[in-house]
Amino acid sequence: MKILTFFSLFSTFLSANSINVEENAGQFFSSGHTNNWAVLVCTSRFWFNYRHVANTLSVYRSVKRLGIPDSHIVLMLADDMACNHRNPKPATVFSHKNMELNVYGDDVEVDYRGYEVTVENFLRVLTGRLPPSTPRSKRLLSDDRSNILIYLTGHGGNGFLKFQDSEEISNVELADAFEQMWQKRRYNELLFIIDTCQGASMYERFYSPNLMALASSQVGEDSLSHQPDLAIGVHLMDRYTFYLLEFLEDIHPASKANMKDLFKVCPKSQCVSTPGHRTDLFLRDPGSALITDFFGSVRKVEITMETINLTDLIKEAEQKNIHTTANLQFPPLHLSSFLPYLTPYPQKPKQKDWHPPDGFILGLWTLILLVFFKTYGIKHLKHIF
Amino acid sequence: MAAPLTLLLIVAVTIRAALYRSSLADLISERVEVVSPLTAWKRVVEGLALLDLGVSPYSGDVFHETPLIIYFFHFLVDYAEITFMLADVITAVALYMTVKDYNKQVFRKQKYALEADRYPLDCLELIRSPKEMYYIPLKVAMFYLLNPFTILSCVAKSTCGLNNAVIALFILSTIKGNVLLSAVFLSLATYQSIYPLTLCAAALLYLMQRQYIPVNYRRASFWWFIAQYAFMYLGSLFVIVCLSFFLLGSWDYLPSVYGFILSVPDLTPNIGLFWYFFAEMFEHFRLFFLCVFQINVFFYTIPLSIKLKEHPVFLIFMQLAVISIFKSYPTVGDIALYLAFLPVWSHLHRFLRNIFLVSCVLLACSALFPVLWHLWIYAGSANSNFYYAITLLFNVAQILLVSDYFYAFLRREHHLTYGLYLKRKDGSEATLVLK
Repeated sequence: MKILTFFSLFSTFLSANSINVEENAGQFFSSGHTNNWAVLVCTSRFWFNYRHVANTLSVYRSVKRLGIPDSHIVLMLADDMACNHRNPKPATVFSHKNMELNVYGDDVEVDYRGYEVTVENFLRVLTGRLPPSTPRSKRLLSDDRSNILIYLTGHGGNGFLKFQDSEEISNVELADAFEQMWQKRRYNELLFIIDTCQGASMYERFYSPNLMALASSQVGEDSLSHQPDLAIGVHLMDRYTFYLLEFLEDIHPASKANMKDLFKVCPKSQCVSTPGHRTDLFLRDPGSALITDFFGSVRKVEITMETINLTDLIKEAEQKNIHTTANLQFPPLHLSSFLPYLTPYPQKPKQKDWHPPDGFILGLWTLILLVFFKTYGIKHLKHIF
Repeated sequence: MAAPLTLLLIVAVTIRAALYRSSLADLISERVEVVSPLTAWKRVVEGLALLDLGVSPYSGDVFHETPLIIYFFHFLVDYAEITFMLADVITAVALYMTVKDYNKQVFRKQKYALEADRYPLDCLELIRSPKEMYYIPLKVAMFYLLNPFTILSCVAKSTCGLNNAVIALFILSTIKGNVLLSAVFLSLATYQSIYPLTLCAAALLYLMQRQYIPVNYRRASFWWFIAQYAFMYLGSLFVIVCLSFFLLGSWDYLPSVYGFILSVPDLTPNIGLFWYFFAEMFEHFRLFFLCVFQINVFFYTIPLSIKLKEHPVFLIFMQLAVISIFKSYPTVGDIALYLAFLPVWSHLHRFLRNIFLVSCVLLACSALFPVLWHLWIYAGSANSNFYYAITLLFNVAQILLVSDYFYAFLRREHHLTYGLYLKRKDGSEATLVLK
């Protein structure tokens, strides 16, 4: 099973580049994921937050176009803009002005809608601790070979993100949720994108390995919206997601664009705020991580008649990785090196039996004997000795 | 009388053993009327488990027993059922011996008074005879052992049984006249829960009368005896407290045990009066009302001991009742202890006015406690007011019982001094009113 997966993945690179299989196979071992998931969350409700729903739906559209199926996308929209009474064009959500692009077609599957989008549900989706009656479409059924894309948008502040205008999730909670996911082996690599005001504060507290984070603005800056549409009457998109979408429109499933290009999306001249990113927890070089590793689900199969020695390539990739990640504390990508993480919880302390101190026992029984002899007379002493 | 007592003990132990083996044991050990945060067996086991894990059992709000209980149960936790049955047996035997001795003294005093012609002629029907007093000790042991409250308390493995045993031993040693043992057991009882401190006055009065020291604050021998007793009592209390320090090497049992009893932080409903008041009280007034409630327990000592200074054993009974009603976490086990004394005053039945009312209310409330708890917690159709109403009614019935006995006792004493059929100066019949 594993050989087949390896085989299929490595053949992908074969088709993209030249017939030089060995070179591509080396590259393929660098990613290590076999499936892709996406969790796309819009946290704001009310009509004037139309742009947040449009943001999320645009990313949804790109992700679907690049190959991630609906069964692997958890889409959470806190409000229904398409059927809102104030929408002059019902059943549509536009992301470009002049109604160029309707991101709400008839194949949009929203998994968590309206009031179901809460901090609790979001954290439960991430950690997998859902009640047994939850349907599959509402679950994040990732495993340790999944690359997950998490996209959050809404209103935020320094260290928190507001859900539904009534509760917040803090950056510490989010970091702990990711750590739970890491300890439960729920992701291979995770890309976290957030488009809110002061979004960089949300990834400050991450401490689990294999996380890469992007944010639309630094702490102290606001993320601004892009363009209003005068017919609909609200802003349609946020700047960062607008330029992100433009960038993603150029990506196709065979594209070789890597994360470094993603960091360049929306410079200050276009975005007014300064987008930030965090890659120190990511074990690979971001330059070797493809956009399609997270935004797409690449599944092409090529047939080759050559024989390839896979073990050499693994060692080669490892060495390359050690070289680039030498200054990190995390162990190299070898299964045995995950063993420290395989015992996530501290061992139960050894059951040592507690004994009362000897001085106490001595003192207590001396007292008892004293009282006894005082009451009943010293003549009983001879029965002891 | 050893044979009937042994038979009674066997019957009681059988009942308890049978209940231990049935499925009711788990149900009973969770009832809030039977266990309180101070006496629950679950918490003892939890504390011992914490100790085995290397953590002090007093960290957190789980364990509120004294270190001597830790030491005691460290070795006996597997034999807990036998321990509690043994505690009940010891209590019953101690009460039996106490009441036997007390009856002898009562009869002797009565004989001297008869010979000295101190009783008016028409109250001879109030004189007690050995024949009627013969079965009283057995009745006392029976009242304690076969009381449903005691059985429930024993089956729930509530440490109230141990507290009762210590208090019973204290009463036994006081009646027997042994000053040292009385002080030691009283200090043990106070160490376990603070309230038996009020029994000090009664013990002092009794021991002084037994040693023929006149109870007169102007006499030096009075103060000297008090000094002796206080020294023994405080000394043994100090020794026990220091010894408890050496068990775990820290003083944090003091706020956990005594701070807990005095400051009542846990407001789990029980059959007492504290929880409802303090649940709805503003923080600003909490300290004030805490002081008021706690002083209420200790306050009745002084007037009662002044009024009952000739009758210290009745004073002990009254004090036990006051403690059981007004303590911060009462359980039915505390009530069982003073109810056991009722046969001793069975000769007062002709002066008791509220027997029917009190017994009906007590029975009804005991039956309604689980019903209203279920309605409140499980069915959701009642609320805490319902349960508190029954608690209030139960306590009112207890207070009525105690005050009724008080009235009857004093009235009998009055009749013994002034005659049974009271006449006013003009010869018409008079009635006696307790003022």
